Amino acid sequence: MSPDAHPPRIVCFMCNWAFCEEEMRIPYNVDIIRVMCVGRMDPVLVLETFINGAEGVMLVGCKPSDCHFVDGNLHAQRAVKMLKKLLALTGLEPERLKLLLISPLEDRDFSHYAKEFTEEVWKLGNSPLSKEEIVANLAAAKEAVSAFRLRVLLGREEELTEFMNAYGEKIPEEEFEALLDGIVKAEFIRYKIHYLTRVKPRSVKELAQILGIRPSAVLRHITNMRRKGMITLDKVEGYTPLYKALEVR
Amino acid sequence: MDDLIYWVEHSNMLLRRVGSRLTEKARKLPPCRAACPAHVNVQAYVALIQRGMFKEAVEVIRRDLPFPAICGRVCFSPCEDACARVNLDQAVAVRALKRLVADIEREQGRVVAQPLPKKYNEKVAIIGAGPAGLTAAYELAKLGYPVTVFERMAEPGGMMRYCIPDFRLEKFVVANEIAYIEDLGVEIKTGVEFGKDITVESLRKDGYKAIFIAIGTQLGMKLNVPGEDLEGVINAVDFLRAVALGKKIAVGERVAVIGGGNTAIDAARTAKKLGAKEVMILYRRSREEMPALPHEVELAEKDGVKFYFLVAPKQIIGENGRVKAVECLRMRLGEPDETGRRRPIPIAFSEHQYEVDMVIPALGQVVETSVLPPELLSKDKRGPPLQVDPLTLETDISGVFAGGDVATGPASIIEAVGAGKRAAVSIHRYLRGEDLRKDRDEERIEETTWVKDWRLLEKKERRYEPPVEKPHLSFEEAKAYLEKLKSQARFEAFRCLGCGPCAECLAGMELCEGDKAVVDEGKCVGCNVCAIICPVGAIKKNERGVAQVNEELCKGCGLCAARCPERAISMQKLSNEQILAMVLTALER
Repeated sequence: MSPDAHPPRIVCFMCNWAFCEEEMRIPYNVDIIRVMCVGRMDPVLVLETFINGAEGVMLVGCKPSDCHFVDGNLHAQRAVKMLKKLLALTGLEPERLKLLLISPLEDRDFSHYAKEFTEEVWKLGNSPLSKEEIVANLAAAKEAVSAFRLRVLLGREEELTEFMNAYGEKIPEEEFEALLDGIVKAEFIRYKIHYLTRVKPRSVKELAQILGIRPSAVLRHITNMRRKGMITLDKVEGYTPLYKALEVR
Repeated sequence: MDDLIYWVEHSNMLLRRVGSRLTEKARKLPPCRAACPAHVNVQAYVALIQRGMFKEAVEVIRRDLPFPAICGRVCFSPCEDACARVNLDQAVAVRALKRLVADIEREQGRVVAQPLPKKYNEKVAIIGAGPAGLTAAYELAKLGYPVTVFERMAEPGGMMRYCIPDFRLEKFVVANEIAYIEDLGVEIKTGVEFGKDITVESLRKDGYKAIFIAIGTQLGMKLNVPGEDLEGVINAVDFLRAVALGKKIAVGERVAVIGGGNTAIDAARTAKKLGAKEVMILYRRSREEMPALPHEVELAEKDGVKFYFLVAPKQIIGENGRVKAVECLRMRLGEPDETGRRRPIPIAFSEHQYEVDMVIPALGQVVETSVLPPELLSKDKRGPPLQVDPLTLETDISGVFAGGDVATGPASIIEAVGAGKRAAVSIHRYLRGEDLRKDRDEERIEETTWVKDWRLLEKKERRYEPPVEKPHLSFEEAKAYLEKLKSQARFEAFRCLGCGPCAECLAGMELCEGDKAVVDEGKCVGCNVCAIICPVGAIKKNERGVAQVNEELCKGCGLCAARCPERAISMQKLSNEQILAMVLTALER
């Protein structure tokens, strides 16, 4: 069923309050790390886990009404939604990330869920992490979720979609979704550019080729990044300007 | 005003997560803990029950209350009355949960407690081994004092042993909880009578540096009607005590119990169980004004006890020196008196008789003033017989403290426990030469709950009803039965909202050891995301525009740390770096 004889390595971040049975049967390919609430999972940590070689990441929390911290699980849901969008851009299958919300009393058998997820990940085959491009993409994605823009969007999502923004407007779900898509993509491309130009100075044309987007779009991103102090003009080769990344904080 | 500003600031959040600001002095507690006279950490042990950690739950109860099983049976549970969940559906069944964990611990064999080390030399004498005295002894032993408890009766326990009948509170339960206190190194001397065998002076001569008088209220109050000396009239306290001592009591065929408190109900049910054909309770107010616990009244009705309301005895009629009947007057209810209950007013010419051969007055108890040193008694005959400071429990004699029923009049076990704890604090401070009044916890307790909008919470009806009587089961059945009870209890515990800040319960766990968020002020840009995210409203911007964590409210969930756009917030215990290190070790395996 799979080209790989070994089951995939899976890291499971589990809410302290979910599955509190002391004797829990855990498949040997799964590692459990307890956190206070699934909402506590920083998107950066999830990506770091992938970068460090996990083939699947599972987040386990309580059912929406059971959360000990009101809506920590809903925060986790939002983070997972965003991470999946980001993972799709990096080339790593979004299915390798799963959020499981269960009732700590009704579902006692964790091993069942763990096995199910293992099968799912196994079907996807070997982690494409060996490919250099995906490593680079994940590193860029990690930078993107460490930065202000995506995080603030994530933090304010509930406020914007369920309540109201500072102007008394409520953003409809679809509109927010489109906004999120756009920002995730833009941020990912910017940090990818940042990653690429860190290695050596590159021209717009070269970047456009690697990223597979139009040069004008690359230039727009670069202008934006220069304003933020993420990138600078290194030198001009002939008529072609070459850009070099600056260290951000 | 401050509240309003905060309100406006967050008005876009449906006003839900507005954490209350703390004054410097107040100690914010969840409503259940604030309402409990002994301030038992209810939220903490309920949280442990959620996780199935029943043994640890008992340990948490014992931090504040040495009688988990006793209070699990007979406490009037002010915690449940205060429970914030009543706004939504019903209170969490706190008492039943406490009873279950204590019973499981006792039945599985309690670990014998080790005597506590003695840190101090000053001996403390405690007079009366009731709930107040034993709690004071327990608390002082925990502080490291050598404590001796003197008890007049043959067995310690006071009213818990001699007044509450066996069917409500089993004697072995009381014995077990007292044995725990004795295991800690408290010496209990029984058969020593205060005022006769020992006095304040003799105790001083024996080297006791502080004395706590907790003799309770031992005398039943008189009816003050003619015919009280007839044969067949026995006071409820004496009646229950005699039954508890195993004395043969000739219970009449028709018994009238006069009064509406828990003692009246206990006496009536005891009389019924001892073989009385008909037992009636005569109470001068109506059912609503009865001080007895409602479910006890129901149980009494199930036992076949009859209730006659709005009647008061006028005289007891005798024949050949024996009770023949009680003559009563009908009453009507007037204006509420100082206790808030409506005052009964007799209706003229409404005399009627009940044919009985036994009368048990249960009107309450009074202090046996004859045993107390005369200088302690108050001159005012109408007020309480003993003058004590309500906060510190000091009496007029330096080094002598008094508390519990003896100072407050007959009350409940949990109030006596609260008095015992206060006395222990006072005695400790007195012996260490500290100010008795400064920063007393009792004075600065405030309730708190983070829930502001109840509409956002899901209703979950109370499903857990504790077993009234233990069924007779085989070993296998009993095991399954216990498992069922445990799982029910966990369901019930999950109804707890966790109103207060961190419950300090999971001391033995790696994770939530009072984890708190810390803000790196240099990095914070004041975007307010953390304040929106925080489920308990523990974070808000201060006057410099920097996020500030209110440590007393923070529950350590880490949601803010996970979302801070500038990553300026980190957790003290479980930081991002630590989680990453855990991931790395896991993946290296």
